[in-house]
Amino acid sequence: MADSKGSSDSGDDAVSTEKLRKEYDDLVAVRDLDLRIKKGVLYGMIGPNGSGKTTMIKVLMGLLKPTSGSGYILGERVPLKKNIARIGYMPQEMAVYNDLSIHENLQLFAELYSVKKEIFAKRERELIEMVDLVERRDSAVSQLSGGMRHRVSLACTLIHDPEVLFLDEPTVGVDPELRVGFWDYFSKLRQKGKTIIMTTHYMDEAVRCDVVGMMRGGKLIAEGSPAELMRATSAKNLEDAFLSYSREGKA
Amino acid sequence: MKLDRVLAISKKNLKSLRRDKRTFAFIFMVPFMMMLLFGYTFGGEVKDLKVYIVNLDEGAPVGSLSWDIINELNSTETMNIVDIYTAKDIALDPVNHSIDKVKNAEAWGTIVFGKNFTNETLANFFLLAHGQQFEPSNLELHLDGTNPNVANALYASVNVAIQQVLKDKYGATPAVAVEKDMVYGENTQFIDFFAPGIMGLAGLLVTFMLTIVTFVRERSSSTLERLLTTPATEGEIVSGYAISFGILALAQSSVILVTGVLLFNIQIEGSFLLALLVIFLLGVGSMGMGLLLSSVAKNELQAVQFIPLVFIPSILLGGIFWPIEAIPELLRPISSFIPLSYAVDGARSVMIRGWGIDQIWWQVTVLTLFAIVMLVLSTYMLKRRK
Repeated sequence: MADSKGSSDSGDDAVSTEKLRKEYDDLVAVRDLDLRIKKGVLYGMIGPNGSGKTTMIKVLMGLLKPTSGSGYILGERVPLKKNIARIGYMPQEMAVYNDLSIHENLQLFAELYSVKKEIFAKRERELIEMVDLVERRDSAVSQLSGGMRHRVSLACTLIHDPEVLFLDEPTVGVDPELRVGFWDYFSKLRQKGKTIIMTTHYMDEAVRCDVVGMMRGGKLIAEGSPAELMRATSAKNLEDAFLSYSREGKA
Repeated sequence: MKLDRVLAISKKNLKSLRRDKRTFAFIFMVPFMMMLLFGYTFGGEVKDLKVYIVNLDEGAPVGSLSWDIINELNSTETMNIVDIYTAKDIALDPVNHSIDKVKNAEAWGTIVFGKNFTNETLANFFLLAHGQQFEPSNLELHLDGTNPNVANALYASVNVAIQQVLKDKYGATPAVAVEKDMVYGENTQFIDFFAPGIMGLAGLLVTFMLTIVTFVRERSSSTLERLLTTPATEGEIVSGYAISFGILALAQSSVILVTGVLLFNIQIEGSFLLALLVIFLLGVGSMGMGLLLSSVAKNELQAVQFIPLVFIPSILLGGIFWPIEAIPELLRPISSFIPLSYAVDGARSVMIRGWGIDQIWWQVTVLTLFAIVMLVLSTYMLKRRK
């Protein structure tokens, strides 16, 4: 489990939380979460629907107010002001403008992040190639398939070259071939020292993360490298490991 | 606040519209159709119009015709006689004082009975009975012709009252010439009166509807979440919206003005730009109101339900078709809270009366405050996190 003690804004941490709690009326969505994610780590958060993964990300992104506790990104307490341009967020929904073209969507977000024109041109080319939409650059997003829109959404998240990325189920609706492409890109980003925090339902993806956090009922029930988690539960795969921790938690 | 980001949001909104052909057509077709429909079909009744009366008539031993006519006028619903000045008030210079009331748009008209009104009229009866030529006695009517319906109603009402009194008392046809002087709107047609109304109505409705629907879509598709996680502040997002929808309100007003000038020959006495400024302020405020109400609507359908809530009071109490005085007294105070009434009044004063900013500063101030309050409140609502 993550060390819940110590300074939350230590220089090594990309993201940390202290007793972070989010309640809705009679539901506790995130339960006193203590989390430390080191810089340069590819962190996968797994857990069933409603386990609090998305709520956690939204609180960290400053979209929801925590009921208690605090969160820090790159040493700054959320909601961010100073560091906001160093963060990239890809929501679960497609969250792109259907009436704009791919190019116009990317341009909008580049302008909002004050990306210089020359840098934008280069990054746009690189990202459109990565998401395999070169020929559709000027098509309206409304004319694209669901999977394509998801790819546009990812490209918009990356346009300003953020240091810390929050990706909420980034590969949902993406075909297997392209998922491989996405993962190659994530690996490249990690090599460049970027921190990636993603939620996923795919165990084969979670296995590729450096650290996996398992959430259930708003609590972090386990955390470690995929190998550690499987070893500790004598499980053959992460799915079994998750079920094992889940049962332990209930007991 | 960074202008680049504000403009980025504005450009995004305008570009989105370019692809949404139906909405784009809607923005320009609605004001055109409204102008056309109302232009050809509308006619309305007015009542309770503020007038001043100056009665300098000295009367005759048999009585005073002027007081009979005033009593008759008082019994009709058309007029609301604010004050009656007589020869006793001569120090006030009552004729000019009352005409000034019309010039300042505090009254729709002033009726002036001359010193010898009764005597002259009675003398004319005598001449008429003996088949002799005569000069009709004079009654002056100073009218604000900004709304031709109002001016015609006042003119007709005075003529009817004269006929009624003379017929009741003497059973004879009148020998009174009502001399009409138009303080404003010498050649005003009804279309001149309501063109500013339609400009205001289109500016209010289309920006309000577009904002509320667009913003609910921003919320439901999570693009708003994404915007809020960029360096764009809530104030910048609201400002970006204000600029783009303000521009749309201006484009619409221009369509209305061009249609009005080319097809209906409407008159623009004052500054065209000042009239547009008034509509721009209303458009920005309406955008803010749409944004504010979008925060309580969960989906597009709920958003659409707010439209009649804004539309009905505005169209009925905003002074588009009939003056505020012509709506039931109980409802009149509500129109002070309807921003459209200030915009219509301002634009109308500029276009028909030829007034400048020094004369419509009050309307401009109220609309500016409305826009600021709406923008501040909608920014606050965006900042509020659950």
